[in-house]
Amino acid sequence: MGTNSGATAGINNKPVGGAAVLGVGVANSAIGGGVLSNSLGSGGGGGSGLSISGLGGQNANVGGIVTGMGGAGGGGNNGSDDGMGGPGGGPNNQQATTPQYTIPGILHFIQHEWSRFELERSQWDVDRAELQARIAMLLGERKCLESLKSDLTRRIKMLEYALRQERAKFYRLKYGTDPPQLNEFKPSSNDDGGLGGDVATDSEVPYSSVSNTTWRQGRQMLRQYLAEIGYTDNIIDVRSNRVRSILGLNNNADHDGGGGGGIGGVGSGGIGSGGENLSPNINGNESNKRASESEGRHTPAKKVQQSNDAIILDTEAAVMANFEFLGPTEMSDDDEISDDLEMVATDNEDTDVKMAKRPKSGKDMLTEEVDGSLGLGELAQLTVNNESDGAYDANAKDGTGGSAGGAGYRKTWNAKYTLRSHFDGVRSLIFHPEEPVLITASEDNTLKLWNLQKTVQAKKSASLDVEPLYTFRAHTGPVLCLGMSSSGETCYSGGLDGNIECWQLPSPNIDPYDCYDPNVHSGTLEGHTDAVWGLTTMQNNIVSCSADGTVKLWSPYTKEPLLRTYTAAEAEGGPSSVDFVRNEVDHIVVAYNSAHCIIYDTETGKQVIKLEASQEMSGNTGKFINKVVSHPTLPITITAHEDRHIRFWDNTSGTLVHSMVAHLEPVTSLAVDAHGLYLLSGSHDCSIRLWNLDNKTCVQEITAHRKKFDESIFDVAFHATKPYIASAGADGLAKVFV
Amino acid sequence: MKMADGSTILRRNRPGTKAKDFCRWPDEPLEEMDSTLAVQQYIQQMIKRDPSNVELILTMPEAQDEGVWKYEHLRQFCMELNGLAVRLQKQCSPSTCTQMTATDQWIFLCAAHKTPKECPAIDYTRHTLDGAACLLNSNKYFPSSVTPDHRVSIKESSVTKLGSVCRRVYRIFSHAYFHHRRIFDEFEAETYLCHRFTHFVTKYNLMSKENLIVPINEEENAAPGESEA
Repeated sequence: MGTNSGATAGINNKPVGGAAVLGVGVANSAIGGGVLSNSLGSGGGGGSGLSISGLGGQNANVGGIVTGMGGAGGGGNNGSDDGMGGPGGGPNNQQATTPQYTIPGILHFIQHEWSRFELERSQWDVDRAELQARIAMLLGERKCLESLKSDLTRRIKMLEYALRQERAKFYRLKYGTDPPQLNEFKPSSNDDGGLGGDVATDSEVPYSSVSNTTWRQGRQMLRQYLAEIGYTDNIIDVRSNRVRSILGLNNNADHDGGGGGGIGGVGSGGIGSGGENLSPNINGNESNKRASESEGRHTPAKKVQQSNDAIILDTEAAVMANFEFLGPTEMSDDDEISDDLEMVATDNEDTDVKMAKRPKSGKDMLTEEVDGSLGLGELAQLTVNNESDGAYDANAKDGTGGSAGGAGYRKTWNAKYTLRSHFDGVRSLIFHPEEPVLITASEDNTLKLWNLQKTVQAKKSASLDVEPLYTFRAHTGPVLCLGMSSSGETCYSGGLDGNIECWQLPSPNIDPYDCYDPNVHSGTLEGHTDAVWGLTTMQNNIVSCSADGTVKLWSPYTKEPLLRTYTAAEAEGGPSSVDFVRNEVDHIVVAYNSAHCIIYDTETGKQVIKLEASQEMSGNTGKFINKVVSHPTLPITITAHEDRHIRFWDNTSGTLVHSMVAHLEPVTSLAVDAHGLYLLSGSHDCSIRLWNLDNKTCVQEITAHRKKFDESIFDVAFHATKPYIASAGADGLAKVFV
Repeated sequence: MKMADGSTILRRNRPGTKAKDFCRWPDEPLEEMDSTLAVQQYIQQMIKRDPSNVELILTMPEAQDEGVWKYEHLRQFCMELNGLAVRLQKQCSPSTCTQMTATDQWIFLCAAHKTPKECPAIDYTRHTLDGAACLLNSNKYFPSSVTPDHRVSIKESSVTKLGSVCRRVYRIFSHAYFHHRRIFDEFEAETYLCHRFTHFVTKYNLMSKENLIVPINEEENAAPGESEA
């Protein structure tokens, strides 16, 4: 482009004279240089600076030419008066000395005027050339940014591809089998770095499919034909411009949508703004903006893009150092010729990313545009679920983001322990407050005690199998809920049989095949007449809710363990879940089938407030609450709903604070970490999601369990003091992530 | 049957469900179960429908892998045996039943330990069930299935494990029958578990007949295939 516009400028300048043409030509090549350096890696700042200095040079040249011309004009016709050469001064002198018109005087004046006009004309021409050069420069810059953008898009794709290969390799190393393919249920995709298999499967298609390659070839051919019939650069430029604008618009909308959905990348701010600040030049900013606009929907892409931008301001070499596995890529000196890095599907056993480089002809702009949009399409396909995972992983990989991101908590959770020993769905699980120990409760009527430090290395897998240390048997039906005392010495379980059983925890170092100690089962709290579905502890008290319609407060190991019973109005239906209000003593929050929550004062037994949203909940069919939890420090109640929402309520005003669609299927379980910063949710869509409570964005999604009938995940939990999270599923497994 | 509106039925036990409504949903035909746990779902569904119809419960659907079928049934037996163990815990203590016996002929040694031990009956029961749970869930003997239609793949070598699990857990029935008859009868009246188990091991030849020492109640339903000779 630079060369082309240079030529055009030169042609326009011809009337002025050879010297002027030369001058502009030089200036243009200087601009070309600027553009070039731009394309060689700077985001815009450096390039622009260079171009401007090029223009300055051009001005100087033009000045030289002008004076030269003035000299020539004067010298030819009047040898005496042209010594000064000032355009205005000459005539004035004449008028002062000779008031009368003389033929030589008139001639001289006309000549002088002529030379003055000539001078002005040449100046205008020079100005015009200058402006044209500027247009050319800007056009060149735009092209270069576009190609830079498409190049970055390709690079993102490359990175994603490499990532997928890595994941596949990891998966194979772990399980000895090939990762599950598209649309196939992915049993353990959670294991591969918590990145989810979705990215891999979703975006695999465009690379591996044969039809795409042929399509590309077809496009190439089409372009050749177009070139032959004279459908050349200019038209293609217009076309590409159009594509660009349409693309920009679409992506804008997408971007907004993403923001509104509140699933934008967490902590993309640090890196993003860094990248933008580093390119103070307007064009640079525009490029950044455009890039983020077009990729904004997809956070990892955005992050990679932005970090790329930042790096690119240094040198290409720096980029390459960061992505050394990409191998050296070269930027050709023509803007339009940009290297096309093409993925070659690698052998499954071979995880090296192979790349074939294919220089493109100068008329490849259209393909690039289309490719670019295709690339965006692929990116857009990436499921929203994994965006932040990808971002984290990208950061981890290129080592640029992590430090900028800041927050130390930001990590990727990986499945480490698989707890398999239950014969049926695991309904509930709870961690010991201090030890790496947990208890699971299952529909197979038992509870099991697990010590994560007593593991068995599973075959061909990076995850560890844990064998249970103790099996608690007393329930005569499925065990549905669990609670643990704050000391971690006792544990309580509620079952379908309507009983709450109390257990003294055996030592976490017990021999699994020790003698039966009947004292482990230390009591039964009888009172509920139907299934006990919710149970939670606070100091020495427990509160339980049951399908018999009541909520009961107990003080176990006392003479009269049942302290109080709370019953709501008939219209509320039965309770489904219960929790202590953590920042307010003597308050409990109960979720009812009516999809309302009621906060009771445990002392008076009176209703304190009812959490209900006037308009949103008006038609509350399907808004059934599966789980209610209280924020550990703030007066906020969080509810998990059958209609896939998680809702946040203000305990003092009883109003809905925030509502978000959190999963693809009903949200079944919630847990808040001890500091109240993160929320964990589980759903029948087989996944657990970690949310940042600050900005209500999804930090990570892990596919964790399989379905039995229409149920999948029953419970999730945080360890209070150790970095463990866990999920319990209908498939009879519990998983612990670190 | 009731699959007219099969697409809208959500088979879920939501929190707050009454015990009587637990798992009370229309049956789902096996071929429509799109799950790795389809066989377990199917077996549980059949048991739920009528636990006494042992013959039907044990009728293997066509095109079902027999190894998987046996494996899932055995899982179900061990799971339901927890119920018997809960009852036994209340009555069978190390002081009353110091050894695992049925008739006076044999003392069963507990295989859960490095060297088999003469555990008291209740310990034997618990250890055997715990051991069976570990074995049947073991990734080593029953690795996760490569095919998505079932949770595990059953290796030929692991099939023999099923037989030894059967032999051991059967002793829980026999101990209960000969030493805690009331508990056994109550449990059996509710679950028909021993009945079903005897049928199962006979049908799939997992135990020799002379080991099946608990007489099976023949009176109530047509199960004449049970020739105890």
